[in-house]
Amino acid sequence: MDTSPPSSAPSSAPSSKEKKYDRQLRLWGANGQNRLEQAHIALFGATAAGCEVLKNLILPSIGRFTVIDDKLVEEADLGINFFLDQDSVGKPRAERTAALLGELNPDVVGGFRSDNLENMLSHTPELLDPRTTEFTHLLVMSPVPTPILLQLPTGIPTFFVNSLGFVTTLRIYSPTHTIIETHPDSLVDLRLFNPWPELSALVLEKTRNLDVPESEGGMSDHQHGHVPYVLLLLKYLEDWKQLHDGHLPGTYSEKTQFKSMVMDKMRTNVPGASEENYEEAIGAVMKNLRNAEISSETKEVLDNPKCLNITSESDDFWIIARAVKDFTDSNNGFLPLSGATPDMKAESHGYVALQNIYRVKAHSDAAAVEEIVRDYMNRLQHPHRDQIDSDVIQLFCRHANFLRCLNYRSIADEYSNSNDEHNKAVLAALENWDAEDSLIHNYVALRGYQEFYTSHGRAPGDTSSEDCDADYDEIKRFVCQYLESVGYTKGVGVRCEKMLKEVVRAGGGELHVTASLAGGIVAQEVIKIITQQYVPVNNTVVFDGIGSRTQTFEL
Amino acid sequence: MAIIDTPQWKYLNRILSRKGPFADDDYDNEMQKTFLEHTKVFGAGGLGCEILKNLALSGFKDIHVIDMDTIDVSNLNRQFLFRASDVGKPKATVAASFVMSRVKGITITPYYGAIQDKDQDYYMQFKIIICGLDSVEARRWINATLVDMVDINRPESLKPLIDGGTEGFKGQSRVILPTLSSCYECSLDMLTPQTAVPICTLATIPRQPAHCVEWASILEWPRIFKDKKLDNDDPGHVQWIYEQALKRAQEFNISGVTYSLTQGVIKNIIPAIASTNAIIAASCCNEALKIATGANPFLNNYMMYTGDESVYTHTFEHEKKDGCPVCGDLASDYMVNPEWTLQEFIDRLKEKPEVQIKKPTMVTERRKLYYQGPPQLNEQTRPNLVKKMKDLVDNGEEIAITDPGLPFSLRLNVIFS
Repeated sequence: MDTSPPSSAPSSAPSSKEKKYDRQLRLWGANGQNRLEQAHIALFGATAAGCEVLKNLILPSIGRFTVIDDKLVEEADLGINFFLDQDSVGKPRAERTAALLGELNPDVVGGFRSDNLENMLSHTPELLDPRTTEFTHLLVMSPVPTPILLQLPTGIPTFFVNSLGFVTTLRIYSPTHTIIETHPDSLVDLRLFNPWPELSALVLEKTRNLDVPESEGGMSDHQHGHVPYVLLLLKYLEDWKQLHDGHLPGTYSEKTQFKSMVMDKMRTNVPGASEENYEEAIGAVMKNLRNAEISSETKEVLDNPKCLNITSESDDFWIIARAVKDFTDSNNGFLPLSGATPDMKAESHGYVALQNIYRVKAHSDAAAVEEIVRDYMNRLQHPHRDQIDSDVIQLFCRHANFLRCLNYRSIADEYSNSNDEHNKAVLAALENWDAEDSLIHNYVALRGYQEFYTSHGRAPGDTSSEDCDADYDEIKRFVCQYLESVGYTKGVGVRCEKMLKEVVRAGGGELHVTASLAGGIVAQEVIKIITQQYVPVNNTVVFDGIGSRTQTFEL
Repeated sequence: MAIIDTPQWKYLNRILSRKGPFADDDYDNEMQKTFLEHTKVFGAGGLGCEILKNLALSGFKDIHVIDMDTIDVSNLNRQFLFRASDVGKPKATVAASFVMSRVKGITITPYYGAIQDKDQDYYMQFKIIICGLDSVEARRWINATLVDMVDINRPESLKPLIDGGTEGFKGQSRVILPTLSSCYECSLDMLTPQTAVPICTLATIPRQPAHCVEWASILEWPRIFKDKKLDNDDPGHVQWIYEQALKRAQEFNISGVTYSLTQGVIKNIIPAIASTNAIIAASCCNEALKIATGANPFLNNYMMYTGDESVYTHTFEHEKKDGCPVCGDLASDYMVNPEWTLQEFIDRLKEKPEVQIKKPTMVTERRKLYYQGPPQLNEQTRPNLVKKMKDLVDNGEEIAITDPGLPFSLRLNVIFS
């Protein structure tokens, strides 16, 4: 086992690509960028919102995009869509938006089809079949008649977007989405209640004579003020155990007592702030004195049937998850160690020595997991058995307590009007304590819009202002039907009525600012799904530009 | 007929022509549309590209923009009006001409310079000010300027300030009605405190790769190059810092010093992506549209957007701070240990996120505590730095602080702890 810290690879000045994408590589790294560059995004509907989403994906350099749209550019499009100009009027919208979007980044390959979703589903189904299509992600812009929504493929991540007046919604669908790099605030796991022998040995070595005054041959003030706080805590926890029949300070009041015990050991006659390490130790008590527990999110991953029943077709994620589970089961329930340590007051060598104890343990845990992975892959005759990537396993182990697995309800289930889980979710939101101001009403109003459009082939309010009242009555009728279908019997509430008026007011039209905002929200979520980093919404986010707020629902 | 009645503006016109259920009762659509056209607006900052596009496509016809930066290659991943061939040109002029050529019938007037170059008369011409600035200093300046411009007898002197900022997947937008609602200064304490690493850590006991980079830039560069200033944008300089930092890291067995980290530390780089900028700029311009037209109620007064774990927004009313040095009237209390030296007092003030000073000059009613310049005054007052606070000021005494980073004079009541 290599015990020296990994040496910094001699990295020279950045490439021109690294310079251009520097501000985003700091978020998702080369790993995320590679995934982004493999993506081919299909946009159905060159609306203002659709083009804004693509803009925010082309700039960070997705691999390819294809705009699919069957309309000709109208004068009115120029008032909302920045990726059309005066010369575009009368020409195919797919072609013109693809051309102007393509100018944004020469690294991205753009294309277009003058076509629509309905026609492609019936005439060129291979373009939407996950086994044959080149598209890796679908962006579908509303309006789309409900029967078409019910036919969307379930093998490709799909983003269904509404941008109407001041309101926007995004519905995400993805096949099971697993995430290693969730980017939590901190990966630090100190294991203060569960030290391993090497760590305990370091504590003994570095805290010898800690409490002996310098005049009696103990540590000098300088040494005393530079013992890393992690070692202080571990040392005093041992002392505490001696005084308390081997018990650790677990309750709030015990921790408070423990704090004052540490405080009493601080040297008070030293000038200045040289006992900051003790202050850091006291500050860390409440947060860090605990058993190393497995997060509920990671438990969900480890108990997932995909983890329990791995096969030769399982994704690497699930094989590694299974190995981590086996490791944990045979390791007193402790996950592989993350190996991360916070900065703390210490001398350089003292800090590095401590850091190395954590790193070495993390390496050896990851190596043990790798052995199990190798064993499973061989036994299963897994196609990746000769390409096991130690870096991925280390990354996985580092994030073992922060894994995520998201299961998305299909869009067809949501719009079928017969899915119990969907109905329950809507009903719960409508009956929740905050229902009066909830953005669930925005969603319900847009369900009315969806049904109105499906029945009439046009948007409510897309008419002279005098006829809006009739459209309002009609869309309200659709909403009543929808509410009944989910089992809600209290009728259309005040906020919902207002939202319906707002929907009719827009008449199916976009506002550029709302479209642009939708473009930002959707692109963030697409990037999270593509890079498999950070945690995307499951499954609906509503933005209300009237009250300037969002809400998420699993619908 | 307003210009907005032309076919190009069909959708915006429709929304504005129909009174919405959330709008004020006295909403008058024809008046509001005309108002929109005559609303002179001002935008600036790193969100500038998005802001200009959004304003142009929201019916604003007379837009002014200020930006002191030139285009850098690292802007191209998000500032979508710029191409590789534009690198080195002023952002304001390139952005203005791009948007004007794309959207017919609007005027954008660019100014290549600092917002501080312009005086109150200049800012008085606008109805709304939108800022997506990335520096705390510039935001404090525009905020203080707009608060100072408010004349109780002239309602038009109150200019709504819409402020937006982003970091990674997070951002915030807010509406400030100078003197009426919480201002930028009122919320400075929401910024993360800048905990500077003690010099002795850098000098003797580095532990983190960033400590090695700071050692190279703060201590080693001036030692070797004396008066020559470190230029963070000069690749040669950055390379030198990187090599020194790497050497030091190896000496102390510290891993993780890379060129990218070196750049990040010395330039204080904040990650930025197109999508977050789009969200925040659009939110700001949505508020501008609502303020200008009354088509819907505008934000009261703060929205925080967090996109790294699911999507979460916190929309709330940030309260005015009683002792706000800009929009409040009184000096605020400040706890001081009487045993501190003046230097220690200054060091602690520098760490306070709600103060944010770099090179303060300090006076009380009865004495000059410390002057940065001119040289004679600096020399006269320098001995005070090692004196104890209790020997310089009385409990309850007011200290006035001026600083290049402060657009106003900060007043603190010293309270001895």
